[in-house]
Amino acid sequence: MKQENDNQWLDPVLEQYIHREPEQFDFDKWAENYPEEARMLRNGIEHSSRSEKTKPYKIWRFIMESKVTRYSAAAVIVLAMAVLLSPFGTPGNGGVVLADVQQKIADTETMIIRGTKTFMRTGKDDEVIEINGLRCEFDLVKYSSKQLGLVEEGSVDGKLIYRITFNRPKRQAVLVLPPWKKYGAMAATDEQMRLMENLSPEGIINMLLAGDHKKLGRDKIDGVEVEGFEFQQPDLFVELFPKPIFDIQTLEGRAWIGIEEQLPIWVEGDFFFGKSLLTLFNEVRLHEVNVVDKYDVELDDRIFDTDVPEGYTEFGLSDILPFIPTEAKAGAAAMGIIPAGLVFWRRRRKKKL
Amino acid sequence: MRDLEDQILVQRALQADPESFGELCRRYYDSLVAIANSILPDHQLAEDAAQEALAAACRDLAKLKKPERFGPWIGAICRNVARDMLRQLRKHQEPVEAHTGNQPDCEEDEREAILDQALQQLPQHLREVIYLRFYNEMSYEQIAKVLGATEQMIDGRIRRAKKKIAVYLKRKGFRR
Repeated sequence: MKQENDNQWLDPVLEQYIHREPEQFDFDKWAENYPEEARMLRNGIEHSSRSEKTKPYKIWRFIMESKVTRYSAAAVIVLAMAVLLSPFGTPGNGGVVLADVQQKIADTETMIIRGTKTFMRTGKDDEVIEINGLRCEFDLVKYSSKQLGLVEEGSVDGKLIYRITFNRPKRQAVLVLPPWKKYGAMAATDEQMRLMENLSPEGIINMLLAGDHKKLGRDKIDGVEVEGFEFQQPDLFVELFPKPIFDIQTLEGRAWIGIEEQLPIWVEGDFFFGKSLLTLFNEVRLHEVNVVDKYDVELDDRIFDTDVPEGYTEFGLSDILPFIPTEAKAGAAAMGIIPAGLVFWRRRRKKKL
Repeated sequence: MRDLEDQILVQRALQADPESFGELCRRYYDSLVAIANSILPDHQLAEDAAQEALAAACRDLAKLKKPERFGPWIGAICRNVARDMLRQLRKHQEPVEAHTGNQPDCEEDEREAILDQALQQLPQHLREVIYLRFYNEMSYEQIAKVLGATEQMIDGRIRRAKKKIAVYLKRKGFRR
């Protein structure tokens, strides 16, 4: 009874003090104030990499801090990224052509891509990097399947040098290096899988769409009428890895889209990498050309097999160390990238010899 | 039913449908301003907090495991945003207030100051229901939805909150 009495005078008092007329939420104005978030909404949050931006770092923590860490696993992840990060898609601003291209890529089940991948030293024109006599100028074949995953094979003079397989159903990534009979493998966690999904051709396109670009006009490639686009440095690529591990400084790319097919015909790009563990502390330019050979062809499941051939052994840090410049090793150890004990133990052993 | 609609809107928002997120914003904006206003001293700041909460929700939408619980989820985000803003505000305002003080200078101001104190002495969860109830005449059902509680719980909280306010105001000689 007393409460009811109180309500009689208290409700109007509170209403007068607190009440406001309902406000119409202005979504357009909000989108103007939060352009990044509005862009995420337009691109689809599930496919947006912004919300995933921290994930590569989490993966690196997982790789580098885990007690069961194996450097082969680290290398596999990075190479898988490098494969997936290739200038595979097409940039654009959602114009008539590119909107269709984006949708078509999303609808495409399989692709076979051919091309080249060349690693060069920056500042020294066209000097292709050589490691142990191997010129890092690879002929590529890529097999991409929405269901099964992605495979990249790199060959020199017809000889297979590396093959990296990302098997989507098995959640496994395997790198094999036939000339040295070495391999590296890892199973992906849910979080890593989500990251990998983000770096699918469709995800790459969404990332590229976020970057600056310009139209290059129309041209013809092998008699096919195409429209060209040039894109530069989408931030999302640049910030993908911790710099000591993999310092992606800039990306420039060009893509030519078949007018009739509404699909990429020729894509080429240049990545510029700073000194980091993954470039063995060299400044490196990667030039890659991808020519789309076939779309929606049947791909044999065995292409995506992750079984390691017999007689192969897992590679470790000791396989990488000889290629790191001596002066870079101390810095890398100081940053915690490679164990200091291993570096200095090796240096002492070298002196004795 | 509204839960199901929220779930659909969240799923659409995740798949490049900004308008669905816009609809979620429209559904919850007033509730968020009310929640923020129960923490922050200024209505304008409460609006800023609500907008910031919507941006934070947009960034983390993919992490929302139960899309049908969008209401309580964004309510919690807004609460955290408002608390952060309040902390920042106190950091910058304390020295100024120490010098000037906040003495009411007329009868109306004094009434408002007492009312404000009556609300401030409430625990946050009770103050929040009062703001939600009186800010925009929200139904118990709407309040329950954004707080992730039952209508009975909301009814109980509002009763307890009012009782405490009434006792405080009477003690302070508040003129009805």
